[in-house]
Parts: sequence; C-alpha cells; structure tokens
Amino acid sequence: MAFNEEFVAEPAGDVVLSIRDLHVKFRLRGQALHAIRGVSLEVRRRETLAIVGESGAGKSALVKNLCGLLDPNGWIDGGSIMYEGMDLAAFKSERDWSRVRGKHIAMVTQDPMASLNPLKTVGWQIEEALKYNQRLRGADARRRALELLADVGIPDTRRRSRQYPHEFSGGMRQRVVIAIALACSPRILICDEPTTALDVTIQAQILRLINDLKGKYGLTLVYITHDLGVVANVADRVAVMYAGDIVELGLCEEVFFDPRHPYTWALLSSLPQLGVRKQELRAIQGTPPNLFQPIRGDAFAPRNPWALEIDFQHRPPYGEVSPTHKARTWLLDPRAPAVEPPPAARSIRALFERGAFAEYPQGGKR
Amino acid sequence: MLLYIAKRLGRAFVSLCLIIIVVFVLLRQMPIEGYFASFDKMTPIQVENGLRKLGLLDPLPAQLLNFFGQLARGNLGISTRYRQNYPISRIIAQKAPFSLRFGLIAVGISIPLGLGLGVLMARRKGGAWDRMGTVYIVFMQAVPSAIYYLFLQLYGTQALNISLLYNPDKWQTMVLPVISLAMPSVAYFAMWMRRYTVDEANKEYIKLARVKGVPAMAVWFRHVFRNAVVPIVQLIPNSLLLTLAGSIYVESLYSIPGMGGLMVDVIKRQDNTMVQALVIIFAVLTIVGLLLGDLAMALVDPRISLAKRTEAR
Repeated sequence: MAFNEEFVAEPAGDVVLSIRDLHVKFRLRGQALHAIRGVSLEVRRRETLAIVGESGAGKSALVKNLCGLLDPNGWIDGGSIMYEGMDLAAFKSERDWSRVRGKHIAMVTQDPMASLNPLKTVGWQIEEALKYNQRLRGADARRRALELLADVGIPDTRRRSRQYPHEFSGGMRQRVVIAIALACSPRILICDEPTTALDVTIQAQILRLINDLKGKYGLTLVYITHDLGVVANVADRVAVMYAGDIVELGLCEEVFFDPRHPYTWALLSSLPQLGVRKQELRAIQGTPPNLFQPIRGDAFAPRNPWALEIDFQHRPPYGEVSPTHKARTWLLDPRAPAVEPPPAARSIRALFERGAFAEYPQGGKR
Repeated sequence: MLLYIAKRLGRAFVSLCLIIIVVFVLLRQMPIEGYFASFDKMTPIQVENGLRKLGLLDPLPAQLLNFFGQLARGNLGISTRYRQNYPISRIIAQKAPFSLRFGLIAVGISIPLGLGLGVLMARRKGGAWDRMGTVYIVFMQAVPSAIYYLFLQLYGTQALNISLLYNPDKWQTMVLPVISLAMPSVAYFAMWMRRYTVDEANKEYIKLARVKGVPAMAVWFRHVFRNAVVPIVQLIPNSLLLTLAGSIYVESLYSIPGMGGLMVDVIKRQDNTMVQALVIIFAVLTIVGLLLGDLAMALVDPRISLAKRTEAR
C-alpha cells in the first residue's frame, strides 16, 4: 500500500515524540489538582509503549495532551511535548491541533458504544476520516472504506458500511473505531484502554487485531491500560504511572522480571494470575494520594511497606538499572539498604514460563 | 416502519376517542340553559320539549353513540347561543384561516430564532449570551403570559403608532400578535436546543471526530448541531400547541376573528355545543401534533425503526 512506504523506509527505534517534564493541572471546585507531576517520556518509532497504572494515576490525562483532548478545565502547567519540531504543549487553538490530529496522531477511545456518531452510517464515518486525512472522496473513499472494514475483520463490508452504529455489537464497533483511526493513516496510534468496555473473549480478538494492524500499517502504538495481562502480551516497553508520575520505565521483560519500584512490586503482586486457590487475592493497601495537596517525598511512601525515612522527605530521583530501565525510588541509591522484592513479584518469570499470559485473557480462568 | 406508523396511528385514535368521551360526558353536566338562545323566556314544558328534540333526555350511552355517528359524518353540531341554529363547522371554516396564519408564522419565526439562541447559549456556557438567554427563558416560564402580552400591546402599539386592534387590511397590525405568540416558543426552542447541544458536544463521539482530524467548524455543524436538532423535530408540533394555547388569549386581546378568541367567546356565552366542538378540535390538533412529532422523529433518527431489531451482541 502506497501510504505505508514512508514508514517502512524509516528506521525503527528513533524517537518520534518526546515529552519533557510535563505538568498538567485541573481546576475542580475552585481547587487545582496536579494530575501530571513532571512526566518525561519518549515514544520510539514503531514500538508499542504501554502506560499502566491504577485508575486516577493520570494515564489518560497524559495522552490526552498528545491530541488536544484535555478537558476544558485542565491546562498544561509547564514542560514540552516535541513532535516533528512542533511543541504540542504550546498548542492553543483547534487550528494548531488540526496539524497533527489524524494524519500524525490518532486515537482509539475507551468506549466503543459511545465513540461513534449514532446518526451516521459506519461507512460515512470512515469516509469522513479519509476525506480529511487522505483527500479521498466519492467512489475512491468508498472503496478504501470497504478495504479498511475488511482489514479490521468485519465481514460483508458492503452491507455493513451502510448500517448505523446501533446495528453493531460492542466488539464490532471497536473494530469500526479502529478502522476510522486507520483511515487517518496515523504515525502514532494511541489506544486508550481499547478493551476495557468489552467482554473477555472479544478483548483478546481486538488485541490481536491491533497487533496485526501495527505490522501492516507500520504504526507506533501507545497503549493505556490498567491490565498487566494486556501489557505482557503486546508491549515492547512499559511505563508504570502512579499519582501523576512515571515511577518505573523499561523494556517489558525488565519491568516484569526485574521490577525495582515498590509500587511495581505491589502492582505485580496483585496480579490475579498469581492468586492461589481458596486464598484471598492480594491487593495494594490504602488509597492513592490526594493530588489537590502538594506531594512531599515519594507519592507511594504512605502505602509502601518498604518505605525509607527519606521517602517521606524528598522526592526520589530516577535510578538507572540499565540504559533502558529506570525507576524513581530511593532504593536504587547506593546509600539505601538492600531490599529484596516480595516473592510474588519475583515469581512473574515463572508465571511467564508456565504460559500464564500466553493465551491471555483466557489464562486468567485457570 | 409501516407497522410502526400503523401502531402509532391506532394509539392516537384510541386516545382521541377517550378524550371525546370525557369531553362529552363533562359537558352534559353543564347548566341546560346553554342549549337555548332565550332560556329565560321559556316555560319548563318548552325547555323539556327542546331538550327532547336535541336528544338530551336519552340515556348517556345512547347520546354518546349518536354523537360519534354525527362526528363521523363530519357534523360538529349546531350553535345555540353564539349564532343561533348555524352549523358549527361553517363558523370554524371562517375562523380557522386566521388562527392558522398567525400560528404558522409565529412558529415559523420562532424555530430559527429559538435554535439560534440555543446554539449561541451552548457554544459558550456561562457567557453573555447564555446568561441573557437564561434570563429570557426564566422570564417566559415564570411570568404569566397575560402580563407581557398586555404590556406588549400597550407599549408596542404606541411605539409603532398603530391601532390597538387587529385590522386585516393593515399588515402592520399583525406584527405584535405574531411576536406575542412567538415569544414563549422562542424560549421553548432555545431552552431545549441549548440542552441538546451541550449534551451532544460533550459526547464521546465528538472527541473521536475531533481526533480524526475533522476541522472544528465541520465537527460543530455536521456532528453537534445536526444531532442536536434531531430531538427538536419532536418539539415542533408541541410548539404549535403552545402557540395555540397562546392564541386563545392573544386573539381576544387584539380581537382577531380566529379560533382562539372564539373559544373565550363561546365559554362566556355558555354555548354548550360550541364549547364541546372547539374543545374536541383542540384535542384533535394536540393528538395530531404529537403523532406528527413521533413520525418525524422516526424519519430522522435511524435508531427508531421499532418494527424490527437487528442488534447482534
């Protein structure tokens, strides 16, 4: 396909998008909520980057800045987002954003039931994306729309393209949303929890589909999820977010097999796949911090059984484990006492080798 | 689709029959002098003969059956006091065009004005338009229409330097009654349009439309506005009814020889058969209006197919 060539020609692994020390705040009931507290992150060409964390960690708030979808009560309070020489953090108007939306950065949203216009046919909605991003109109657009529908695994495309969203099931709608995103022919595709609203069997299909399309269309994927099973299956690199900050970042294997931040330990220990029959599943104690108040020290310290005294005083810097792996914890400081990660977090590798994630999400049923 | 229309028509017919029964039975409870032009001068025997002749001494179910038969033949009855022994349908045929003209013009101008105001209000929530519009809507809802109708008539005619009453030969005299009739409808459309626009603008699919690179104005017109107007379609017949209600007062205020003024007149003169005929006509209009609203909705919204569901989940 013609529009794929440019991707194929470019080497994988270059930095395409780089976020530097980003701060995002929201005004809620007269108070400022510090949702993103100095995040730096690079997205590399044709990688799959997964951003994980519990609800409210700031995953969505972070990626919404990449396509100008920040809610009106939110604003960028410092930092930069560089993409192709443009600073997305400085974009103000819809006009600015129209330069990157679609063709450069597209998004698959969370809820397929709500993300399609109920009064337009599915074909029309794909053709609209083609019109603005690939200048295709009329019969050309129609033909391409049918191809895209076939690409995302929708049978009987001619008839289906004339139907309205309410005539599609949830999984089928998510396929349509993906087809719309592909119609933009984006370089970076953001998938904001693309499978949370779907049932388990459909989830696996959609994940496989996105993965296949990534190869076919040369996409760079940014996945947001709170499902570590999804991450294990699809991600090249993983960023773990907690309280508006990236606490650990590394290659998928590094974060899963050699986690360094106590929050990552806790997160991994609470994987349901680690559960033992007839025993209560492990959960992280306490609740995330209140981001209306300034955070002192490490945001995870109050819930962290391994917290050091300094964790309550000073925010830890990133400690480098390998050139690709870093974690924001004092435990990596040379002066810190040696702390062993909990046994559950260390048993992830064994879990992998047993194939617990291989057929995810069915794996969870054992 | 046809099945849906048939079902909806059937329901409309049933409610119409029920309304006719209720109106008929209620009006039989009115004082009997309403059936005679000069009740005061009649002897009790004359009254009884008169009632018998009108069939009003028959048992109620028989009267009702007669009445339905009469309606089926398009006969609304004979006026007794308003215009003695004159067929009511003829009176209405003379009056209806006036009401229709005023009503349609009023609704015709209130749709664009109301929708425009609603969109302006929704585009910047809490902005100047929104605040002014809200004041207007609240005023229209809270203040009895009689008050602003009267003020409009008094000061309006003075300002325009025209006569207080409607004169069919002078178009200028149409302006104030039409404005009076349109004012509540504008508020009604603006209120709902603002609400639907805000609803649609916050929906998830608008985000997807923006993120797929559709320019802001196109998102606004093709997605937000287009979808917000759909439920408004259902309100149009309703707004016709609103002007109908308004016309009862406005027409008598400007002495427009229409149906609304007629209603007030015949109630004052206790012309029982005419009150009955007019109430039934207004009821028919209401039911037809609601019916049209539902059918129009089914036309513009693909989700309403009702006959068959092809949801495959």
